[in-house]
Amino acid sequence: MTTWYRRHPDLRLTALEGEGVVLQLGSRRYFTVNEVGVDILEALREPRTLDQLVSEIMHHYAVGEERAAKSVRNFLERCAGTALVLAEER
Amino acid sequence: MPERIAVRCSDPVVRGTLEQWLIEGRLQPPRPLTLDVRVEPLLPGDQPDPRPIFRQPDLTIRSGGADGRVTIVWDRCPAEADLLPGSRVAAVRLSPEAVRCLDDCLRQFMITTLIFLLRRVGWHHVHGGIAVDPLGRGWLLAGNSGMGKSTTVALLAARGWSVGTDDIAFLAGGSDPVAAYSFHSPIALRPGGEALLRRGSGRPLPDRGKVGYWPEDLGSRWCPRIEPQILIFPSVGEGRTEVSAVRPAQAVAELVRWSAWVTLEPTLAQDHLDLLTRLAAQARAYRIRLGPDLFQDPDLAARLIP
Repeated sequence: MTTWYRRHPDLRLTALEGEGVVLQLGSRRYFTVNEVGVDILEALREPRTLDQLVSEIMHHYAVGEERAAKSVRNFLERCAGTALVLAEER
Repeated sequence: MPERIAVRCSDPVVRGTLEQWLIEGRLQPPRPLTLDVRVEPLLPGDQPDPRPIFRQPDLTIRSGGADGRVTIVWDRCPAEADLLPGSRVAAVRLSPEAVRCLDDCLRQFMITTLIFLLRRVGWHHVHGGIAVDPLGRGWLLAGNSGMGKSTTVALLAARGWSVGTDDIAFLAGGSDPVAAYSFHSPIALRPGGEALLRRGSGRPLPDRGKVGYWPEDLGSRWCPRIEPQILIFPSVGEGRTEVSAVRPAQAVAELVRWSAWVTLEPTLAQDHLDLLTRLAAQARAYRIRLGPDLFQDPDLAARLIP
């Protein structure tokens, strides 16, 4: 079984000069996210695994796997707590 | 120019009052809209409404059902409006009790109905004041009640700036620069703000505990539209007036905060958010903590913003 992540359908995203603002329509809350967060949420328009996301961040920012994995995991954990990202086992 | 917001109502007094209110408001949306108003007793619904509730002072708003309808209920007297996605008609029902306090009904309930109706032609409300400085730059002051918008707009009007509104602004874009449109209504000042203005020509707004000034009463010209170049997020403080720049994404977040309806109606939310983003990209944004020195020297605002 692999965990697949995708954006919550209630999420709306905008980005400007390397930062983003996210609306969660269901909870009517909004958040600001950094550039990595914007990239992850953009990628999650389509379902992705953790490994795929880490690979994309490594490629985009030219950082090592450990650092990329830590950033992605931290971001996904925060998103799960605010219903921005859904996780599904397949 | 034909009226762009029509009123259909068989009650001539209600129709006349609504039409006069809309004429005074001077809004010219890009496509015709209609308020379809019936006056009738309103009974509580016999079916529970499972849609999530969004509360505002004296209002209960529901949205998110299968048909995407928005329902606005005035809590003070029975009154209800229904708006369907894509429809440019608001179906409004007013009880006889609501008709008996029609001024409050306009200010609390009908203006909210109008806000949702205007979303359907791409005009999105923001709690904001509108002004044009002596250099011709459009200023949008966004924030909630009590943050100094109205007093600042009134002081700037008294200094000869053109002003549009102290609170009811509508943003619109299309493919052009984002514009902000003013709803023409009196600038409503609390007693403290009125004392700072040092004018006695306002008209009492007793139900609100405020005094109202038309821009023209203050020696200003009314400004129906600006293309904002300066975004201001004010607050009131005790010390000297201070200005700090705001990053564009933070400006979007602030605009979201003062655009109460942005999270409602999923089909419109992304358009609304994109509009706020374009506005933040087009204008320079600042936080201003308004100190007593500004109220002694209203020109300070323009000097602090290069």
